[in-house]
Amino acid sequence: MVALRMRRAAVALGALVVLYGIAAELGRGRLPDRIWMGSHYVDNIQLLPTWRSLAEEGAFLLESDILASSVAVSTRRVLAGLLLGSLVGILLGLATGWAWRLEALADPWVTFFRFTPALALLPLFVTWFGYGELSKVLLIASSVAVVTLLGAHHGVRTVPRAYIDAATSLGAGRSLLFRRVVLPFALPHIFASVRVATGLAWVTIVVAELIDAKMPSLGYLLALSGAYPRVPTMLIALATVGALVLAFDLVLLLIHARSTRWMRRTA
Amino acid sequence: MKRAIHQRSLLWLASLAALVGAYTVVANQVRRPDLLPTTQDIVQTFAALVVRGNAQSAGDPHHEHHQHHERSSDQVDTLVQQGVTLQDALAVSTARVLFGLAVGLPLGILVGVLLGWSRRTDDYLHPVYVLVRSVPPLALITYIMLWLGHSEAHRLIPIVYAVATTSVIPTYHAVRDVAAPYLVAARSLGARGRLLVTKVLLPAASPTVLGGLRYAVPIAWMTAVGAEMLMAENGIGNLLVGGGMWSSRMQTRSDPAVIIAGVITLAAAGWAMDAGARLLRARLTRWVR
Repeated sequence: MVALRMRRAAVALGALVVLYGIAAELGRGRLPDRIWMGSHYVDNIQLLPTWRSLAEEGAFLLESDILASSVAVSTRRVLAGLLLGSLVGILLGLATGWAWRLEALADPWVTFFRFTPALALLPLFVTWFGYGELSKVLLIASSVAVVTLLGAHHGVRTVPRAYIDAATSLGAGRSLLFRRVVLPFALPHIFASVRVATGLAWVTIVVAELIDAKMPSLGYLLALSGAYPRVPTMLIALATVGALVLAFDLVLLLIHARSTRWMRRTA
Repeated sequence: MKRAIHQRSLLWLASLAALVGAYTVVANQVRRPDLLPTTQDIVQTFAALVVRGNAQSAGDPHHEHHQHHERSSDQVDTLVQQGVTLQDALAVSTARVLFGLAVGLPLGILVGVLLGWSRRTDDYLHPVYVLVRSVPPLALITYIMLWLGHSEAHRLIPIVYAVATTSVIPTYHAVRDVAAPYLVAARSLGARGRLLVTKVLLPAASPTVLGGLRYAVPIAWMTAVGAEMLMAENGIGNLLVGGGMWSSRMQTRSDPAVIIAGVITLAAAGWAMDAGARLLRARLTRWVR
């Protein structure tokens, strides 16, 4: 069963690679290579670079260490923001889910930030914290915190009444109840929200790095390849961001699977 | 019970008032309007962006400019001179978001139904979907621009893309997990074709699918604002950065009062749309308990 699924996935992805190759070869020399950039024309643009030119560009980016250092810088920012944001968000979410007075106090602000697109805060963060590392990390942290807060809150709130009643009638105090009943139950919800937040964090960093873009970072690589424009670099940067999002998601799924081995899961 | 609700709303209001009050005190003490505009400043900026723009579009812009207003900054002046008003910018952004939802949702639902309906299609296309989903829509914006040129299309496509990719998964689960037992039962009773889709699949899957709409709305707003910040001549995102962050105009320091006014507007718009989505879901799926 798994083997069949793997084979089918391989067939689909292989077909994608071949189809792109054919499209690129067909497009070579036929697609327009002179593009109006709003104020001037740019020549020699490959809208669909062939695999060959992608490989050459990729080799150059790897050899010159541009790609690796960009990945390292952007990943570090996302990780810092993700850790900070989910720490704050999960703690707050657990607290507001557990204590209704706290929930009432936090609610107007949670509602406000929940519907504020994180990117809209970017100019504000830049004014407050400057163009450097701090505003990028804090921007990611704030968008992550809102999502994980809601996840943790929801996780605590959906604990079935029967579990709490059963534990209480067996004599569990509030702290034991929280640690042994509520927290384990909320864990899958928290993980689900961290997965969503990770995707959001990568969207945020790509745009945040376009502002006052400095080398090396993936956002800058995208901005630079867009300014010239140099399509092979752009596509490689896009694919790298996609691969990183995928890798983060896989790692989270792995941690989730390991930390909830004791419970039955469907997917 | 009633007392608890009463106490809740009291706490809610107290929290709102306390933070606004604290902010007002701090901002008045700090006296740095370039960092922390006072509450009064923010209210005046709101007024300037809503009212002054209106008066200006009717009259002579240079004359209007000399009107005495207590609150004024470079960014507000520039925006007013360009005839930008908060409500116009909001209308443009809302139109983009609605377009993204109108095109992206059917697309995403279609893909979700395809993947959820047939095991074989899922095996083949799910890996491709995961690849497509992993690329952040805003990162695509320059590449789309190369293909389509400077036009409305390259601002709209990322929104459509974001909405479509987020609405696939709820639909997929709705069809594969929620509706599956009903489908099996209906099939064994002999239902097929149209009957199966309209009487079984649609009622069983739609609550989950419409629940997904609530995820798609904030993502659409986020993408719209990002796209407008990067490359657009109008919309709230553009208002926030005072025109083209992409270009080097970031040199002019942005006025935090304008940003806070814009952010409050965006939060209100997002909240209103979410309320709309909830209402739509409640009305369309009245049969669910």
